Amino acid sequence: MQKGEMYVGWSTKEDVRKRGGSGGLVTSMLAAALEKKLVDAVVVLKKINEFEAVPIITSDVNEVLNSAGSLHSVPSNFAKLIADRNLKVALPAKGCDTRAIIEQGKRNAINLDNTYIVGLNCGGSMHPVVTREMLEVMYKIKPEDVHGEEIEKGKLIFETKDGKEHAITIDELEEKGYGRRESCRYCTIKVPNNSDIACGNWGVTGDLAGKATFVEINSDKGAKLLQNAVDAGYVQVQKPDEKGVAMRAKIKGVMEDLGKKWKAKIFVPMDNRLEFFRKELENCIDCGACKTVCPTCSCGEVSKCTEFHMRGDAYKMSMYHLVRFTHLADACIGCGQCSDVCPVDIPLTRLYMMFANPIQEQLKYEPGMDMRKPPYFEVKLND
Amino acid sequence: MSTDAKSNPSNGWEPKIVAFCCNWCSYGGADSAGMGRFQQPASARIIRVMCSGRIDPLHVFNAFLEGADAVLVTGCHIGDCHYVNGNDKTKIKYKYLENVVRELGIEKERLQLNWISASEGEKFANFIRDVTAQIKKIGPSPLKPEGVV
Ligand SMILES: Cc1cc2nc3c(=O)[nH]c(=O)nc-3n(C[C@H](O)[C@H](O)[C@H](O)COP(=O)(O)OP(=O)(O)OC[C@H]3O[C@@H](n4cnc5c(N)ncnc54)[C@H](O)[C@@H]3O)c2cc1C
Ligand code: SF4
Ligand code: SF4
Ligand code: SF4
Ligand code: FES
Repeated sequence: MQKGEMYVGWSTKEDVRKRGGSGGLVTSMLAAALEKKLVDAVVVLKKINEFEAVPIITSDVNEVLNSAGSLHSVPSNFAKLIADRNLKVALPAKGCDTRAIIEQGKRNAINLDNTYIVGLNCGGSMHPVVTREMLEVMYKIKPEDVHGEEIEKGKLIFETKDGKEHAITIDELEEKGYGRRESCRYCTIKVPNNSDIACGNWGVTGDLAGKATFVEINSDKGAKLLQNAVDAGYVQVQKPDEKGVAMRAKIKGVMEDLGKKWKAKIFVPMDNRLEFFRKELENCIDCGACKTVCPTCSCGEVSKCTEFHMRGDAYKMSMYHLVRFTHLADACIGCGQCSDVCPVDIPLTRLYMMFANPIQEQLKYEPGMDMRKPPYFEVKLND
Repeated sequence: MSTDAKSNPSNGWEPKIVAFCCNWCSYGGADSAGMGRFQQPASARIIRVMCSGRIDPLHVFNAFLEGADAVLVTGCHIGDCHYVNGNDKTKIKYKYLENVVRELGIEKERLQLNWISASEGEKFANFIRDVTAQIKKIGPSPLKPEGVV
């Protein structure tokens, strides 16, 4: 097995395959890495209910096997969890997790040589609180009655405990302000080729559809991970058919274009920007949650921005945010974490991206997509 | 006093301009401007740093939030930095700083970068005079706190 190859595969453990997001391959591959001591620990989600889960670091193979399944309303980001711990670790990672892990690697907070990034294709995730409200308002069902959820042909389908299915198109949901988080709508990393191995359900055809995982090996580490799982008898793979490969490429392209369209729609030129920013930030209570959660920031608890958590003076802008707007201009990956946690619902990701977009475009720098040094850390830039 | 009245040049409103000057060049430039008796307005508040590379975007934000109508970042000509490449780093930081200030919607006249050597007293004086005239035209900074003139 080597970089560039594609496979379709599944878990050899029947229950893992059944519970898995597609073929349970990711879970089994992570478990095999732990079992065969390729890594000392694995990060997985521990489910609380249909909408909530907490990421855990574990060395227990059973705990890993229990984690099978995709949770679309758990918009967590794993990068900070493994930062500054010097772990030999394997973990699942959506596009935004992967980008953040790489940026942490550049800041010496994660040793990428010891980190196996299992990429998950990602069409988007939802905020758990918004999801609950959406179920009541749009689907007219009680969140507690939900038993399962899936996305098929542009529809978000919830299954209730009575066995009924409830489907609404994602377009309609998003028109009403529900559905995917705003940042996911304009995210263009749909297949994380920046990870070691990219896994998803796109491209699985025929009888296997929904029962197998499509993988693309992006690095030597990715090849090692998959080979190890096959050798250990945890997963089975076969070559994908041409139709599947083409289908996957097509969906990827369509989704990326859709992301670009959303981006153009959301980031429109604007007058009275100062008034806009002041209005948006006027309710900030300086709790610092947006900094704590930011997965590309590797500063400690006390850092330059946190020195300015005060509003005693008559300053017309938050110094805390001004410092962060500057520091994140080349690092912000638009992961949505800051907006998710803000207790006063400031659309922070949009604000941060308004400062990040122009710098990243001008310097042709895409954070978390490769190992290029952040321009802010350079001594000299070529004009 | 309304903003209009304040910004009306005939009322004699003098903008406050904070100029960060490098010890080895533009600070000397400011000095030789004085010694050469070049006419310059009283608008500039000069802050000396040991190298333009010491200027943190934070210092510039602070100047604006405390009431500066314009902030100038100045240093040695590229290649002449006393500490080899401090001003190359200034260029990078300035790019990021400028981006934040522009995206915030602050007029471009209010933040300017210039390389001025110790012997360029006249250039320094002209720079301050030009910026002062530009700022008099556009009036006080929208970031100026209430009650500060
Ligand atoms: C939010 C989200 C959106 C997705 N959208 C697409 C898509 O549009 N197209 C596509 O081809 N594939 C998508 N996937 C990937 C797909 O659903 C499967 O996860 C993938 O095919 C692997 O399946 P599996 O059965 O091998 O994984 P499993 O064996 O089920 O393992 C999944 C692993 O992912 C972890 N995990 C579950 N939810 C999350 C989460 N929210 N964030 C981080 N880790 C998580 C679990 O802990 C587990 O370790 C998405 C996944 C997620 C989480
Ligand atoms: S930001 Fe992108 S990668 Fe992250 S959850 Fe949203 S769509 Fe997925
Ligand atoms: S600023 Fe917000 S969107 Fe950008 S990387 Fe940090 S948490 Fe993510
Ligand atoms: S999370 Fe919200 S309230 Fe808290 S510091 Fe950030 S912007 Fe302010
Ligand atoms: S010493 Fe003047 S810019 Fe560095």
